[in-house]
Amino acid sequence: MKQSVNNVITADEMMVFAASQLFKDGDVALVGTGLPMIAAYAAKQTHAPNAVLVFESGIMDAKASHMASGVGDFPLVHGAVKTSSLFDSLSLLQKGTINLGFLGAAEIDAYGNINSTVIGDYQTPKVRLPGSGGANDIASMAERTVILVKHQKRKFVEKLNYLTTPGYIDGAGSREKYGLPGQGPEKVITDLGVFYFDAATKRMSIESLHPQVSLEKVIEETGFEFQHIPEEIPVTEMPKPELLQTIRDLDPDKIYINK
Amino acid sequence: MKTDTKLYSLKDAVREVKSGSHITLGGFAHSLAPLAFVREMIRQDISDLEVTAMGEAWAVDMLSGAKALKKVRMSNFMFEGWGRCRNFSRAVEEGEIEVEDYSHFGITNRMFAGSMGIPFIPVKTMSGSDIYHERSFEKNNKFVDYTCPFTEEKVLLVPKVEPDVAIIHASRADVNGNVQLYGISSTLEVAAKSAKKVIVTVEEIVEEEIIRKQPELTILPSFLVDAVIHLPYGAHPAGMYKYYDYDSDHINLYIESTRTNEKFKEYMEEYIKGTENEIEYLEKIGLKQLLSLKADPYYGYSLHNRGEVLQ
Repeated sequence: MKQSVNNVITADEMMVFAASQLFKDGDVALVGTGLPMIAAYAAKQTHAPNAVLVFESGIMDAKASHMASGVGDFPLVHGAVKTSSLFDSLSLLQKGTINLGFLGAAEIDAYGNINSTVIGDYQTPKVRLPGSGGANDIASMAERTVILVKHQKRKFVEKLNYLTTPGYIDGAGSREKYGLPGQGPEKVITDLGVFYFDAATKRMSIESLHPQVSLEKVIEETGFEFQHIPEEIPVTEMPKPELLQTIRDLDPDKIYINK
Repeated sequence: MKTDTKLYSLKDAVREVKSGSHITLGGFAHSLAPLAFVREMIRQDISDLEVTAMGEAWAVDMLSGAKALKKVRMSNFMFEGWGRCRNFSRAVEEGEIEVEDYSHFGITNRMFAGSMGIPFIPVKTMSGSDIYHERSFEKNNKFVDYTCPFTEEKVLLVPKVEPDVAIIHASRADVNGNVQLYGISSTLEVAAKSAKKVIVTVEEIVEEEIIRKQPELTILPSFLVDAVIHLPYGAHPAGMYKYYDYDSDHINLYIESTRTNEKFKEYMEEYIKGTENEIEYLEKIGLKQLLSLKADPYYGYSLHNRGEVLQ
């Protein structure tokens, strides 16, 4: 591969590409802004033209002329096929019509559970974070979910301060016990690699690491033990140059990627 | 002053919201926020409020900074693109506000049950999380585990909520209180229908005939509305689709002021308590700034604000 500056892929671009590959044509996805939105548009322009984006604010099948700064932002409203309510969007999630959701995380544990509520005790928190929003709803009810998060030791923790958003909770069988309709997180995509959940234990395992990323680095940035580490760790697939260009063209002002 | 219409002055309408009452407010990210109303609530020192809200970050953060909140049922408060709501977070961290957490769908269903006149509703979300396990002031009334008698599916029951007052900012209305909205409605409709009293502030007052020409835009018919107040730029520094964009410059200034209680007090003294009314507030923002936010009639937002048109 040519190593000119423009062809060197960044960590953000790797995350967007890896996320875009998880879209199937015809998926109805509930997405937030940021990397998942760029990934969704990249998928739509390539292998999943019939994927539909729904935003929790009530925006359906958005076709934005300008980059949106949030899930209710006006460029998503203009050109959408329907503007509706949050209640309507999230009802479609409960019904199962929306089948794919993306999540971010302030803290994540080995079972893919996420905290976005407090640091410290719930009643007397050291830091009050924004709270669930639609995240718990996506994680509880979407058939498939994907977590995108920066890989840092303070985020990848053994024990969460507060379980805002369920992954596999305490392990195999937990989601069934609580009656959660979604399948649980399918993948975790970070700036270092792609991770999956072991079928028997539901603990996080390494699927692949991005180019130039060492296992030592990943272990150093992870506060829990992976269930499974392949003996020969695959390198995450890279986008073809045209697709990388598509991803860059989607965010020319670097609002979300490579900022 | 009350007339034979539902048109109120801002000062009179705000007097209807008593300290200690339970309110819900409109707003989604940087749009639909009833901030002119909230500023007047702060001018009138309304306090000890209980709030039920989904994600109405702007109203809640301002009221938190004014020390007006006591209890909050919520899902998520965040200034998208800017970060945490520091006034709100600090008030919680300092033990001033008691919080009960839900998911977006969870809190919205509580309002939906209120809007439908049913005592509770089943949902398939939140189970197994600390939203379920950690109970604050709702205690045993937060959730009930239930097995559907028809399908045997496991569900959570959430009780209805019926706030005393809903405060909504919308696009336009007639003097009788028929309210119309362009764009997303977020939770405005269920919030308004769940509340005992509904106060609506709008960008424009139009003739009833105009409403009747496009009834599909109506979000609340007059019989669901108690008061209407004409407040152009009533969501500033948030925006209104087809009217004006959110004001990034003022949002920067606001966010900076929320770093400490002292700094926010200065912001309040200058922009809220230091202004007699909303005209004075808008004069402080300035004509040039307000014009730069004006929505492009095709896109519905300001191209200047999106970096496209140089002034």
